[in-house]
Amino acid sequence: MLDRKPVVAQPRPEPSLRAEGITSGYGGVPVIRDVSIAVGPAEIVAVIGPNGAGKSTLLKSLVGILRVTGGKVLLGDQDVTNRPPEELARRGVGYVPQVNDIFEPLTVLENLEMGGYLLASGRVRERVEEVGHVFPALAPMLKRRADKLSGGERKMLAIARVLMLDPQVLILDEPTANLSPKLADNLLREHVRRLAGVGKAVLLVEQRARAALGIASWTSVLVSGTTRLEGRPQDLLQREDFEELFLGAGPAKAAHESDEKENEKT
Amino acid sequence: MSIFAAAFGFGLVSMSVIAIAAVGFTMQFGITNMINLAYGQVMISSAYVAYYINRAGITIWVGMIAGAFFGAAFSFLLNRLVYAPFQRKGTSYLGMVIVSLAVSLMIANLLLPIVGYFSVSYSEHAGSLVRLGDIVLTNNQIAIIALSVAVMLGIHALLRYTRLGKAMRATAANPTLARNCGIPTQRVIDMVWLITGALCGLAGVVAALNSDSFVISSGAGFLITALAAAVLGGAGQPYGAMIGAVIIGLVTELSAAAWSPEYKEVVAFGILVLVMVLRPQGLLAKRGALAAAG
Repeated sequence: MLDRKPVVAQPRPEPSLRAEGITSGYGGVPVIRDVSIAVGPAEIVAVIGPNGAGKSTLLKSLVGILRVTGGKVLLGDQDVTNRPPEELARRGVGYVPQVNDIFEPLTVLENLEMGGYLLASGRVRERVEEVGHVFPALAPMLKRRADKLSGGERKMLAIARVLMLDPQVLILDEPTANLSPKLADNLLREHVRRLAGVGKAVLLVEQRARAALGIASWTSVLVSGTTRLEGRPQDLLQREDFEELFLGAGPAKAAHESDEKENEKT
Repeated sequence: MSIFAAAFGFGLVSMSVIAIAAVGFTMQFGITNMINLAYGQVMISSAYVAYYINRAGITIWVGMIAGAFFGAAFSFLLNRLVYAPFQRKGTSYLGMVIVSLAVSLMIANLLLPIVGYFSVSYSEHAGSLVRLGDIVLTNNQIAIIALSVAVMLGIHALLRYTRLGKAMRATAANPTLARNCGIPTQRVIDMVWLITGALCGLAGVVAALNSDSFVISSGAGFLITALAAAVLGGAGQPYGAMIGAVIIGLVTELSAAAWSPEYKEVVAFGILVLVMVLRPQGLLAKRGALAAAG
């Protein structure tokens, strides 16, 4: 598929955030077991895998929403396992959930203000302006209620909201869910890439595995709650069993079908 | 002078009283998910605090401030000591309603031996009469209306323009996301109980002042009118509760003029039942400042 040039493998950066063999789940039933993952400055790490693999569970465990019952979460060299979400936000970890990612009854501006809740009040206004430069589309709609936004605008707002605190680590749970393929591609290639470009550690979960591989510098494949495979995207793509793995049992064809379905929807 | 013009005047006073009570009640639900059926008992307890101060010869307007402070402290402790521990254990909505009902009965019965079962009233001059066309109100009644308008404007300013108020709305809309933003939601909820508790205490004193006399059991009636206004406006929505208060206040007073004052609470309850049947989501289902959580 690609002509294989010897890639000079750059060493991965020192991780900003890493999980070491974490186990977590709901109501005492583990969904993920012994999962390790790391993300460093300027890296985009994509977690892919079939539905129900535990991708969202992994992210929720990292940001203190779900209780970790085994293993450790480290921010730099500090143990932040099971620290509350407020503390992780304060310490520079920004999290954008897949759903319920904005405050719907609040205006766009108020959403951003809440994102910058920990900033001094004078700084909030400056920061709203700076974030407005990252997402120029949001600037003219600051007074609008957030539930009136389109899917793409909504996701931009959700990301803009976490950028208010200028986090060093960004955790995005399926940022392209419910977006048209075109918007999804734009969000990943333009915005997510740029975030890594300015040095942020970006960890994202993606259903659109192919699109994720296109921007990721490291990829982890989660199947049934455990890491089945990880590596650089170009290496993974060369494995014959790769498509089968990241789609679970389904053959490659299923991926195209589901992509087509998404196209019809949007 | 038309009896209906007089009733309209009383309606203005009633809606002012109900608005303070209903806004506090609905904010408790909207932000903390707590349908606090002990609200009426906290109101009447605060009314008694003001009564004892008033009986010592101090004006009821000072008693009102004391009542507000008492209501704030009482509600805060009620949440910290009773409701929050149950909620942390994951008690269901319905379970929490039963807990608050139990608290309500406990307060009423603990209070009974202290305050007695006879009706009491504040000793306060109603002030001179003010005529506005056919409507005749006392100075005190006008003060109540002004106080209520000021409280409503204050709540509006709090929710719209202050960092705390916005954090309250954010916590109501999406508590997990609020925590992800670094908002200390526990502290926000503490503030909600203090502020709504103050409204509850204030409403209790104002409601008692607006009645000829009151007894411990008046708390149940206070709760029903506040509940009716809150549900009519859309549970959890402060602006809805204000509109609900206007409607319930007017309708109960007009029905009192046309029919009998004895049935005011029956009418309020009737409206509550009608709303539950016809528009259970309330008038402002989706548009208020606080989306009803859950």
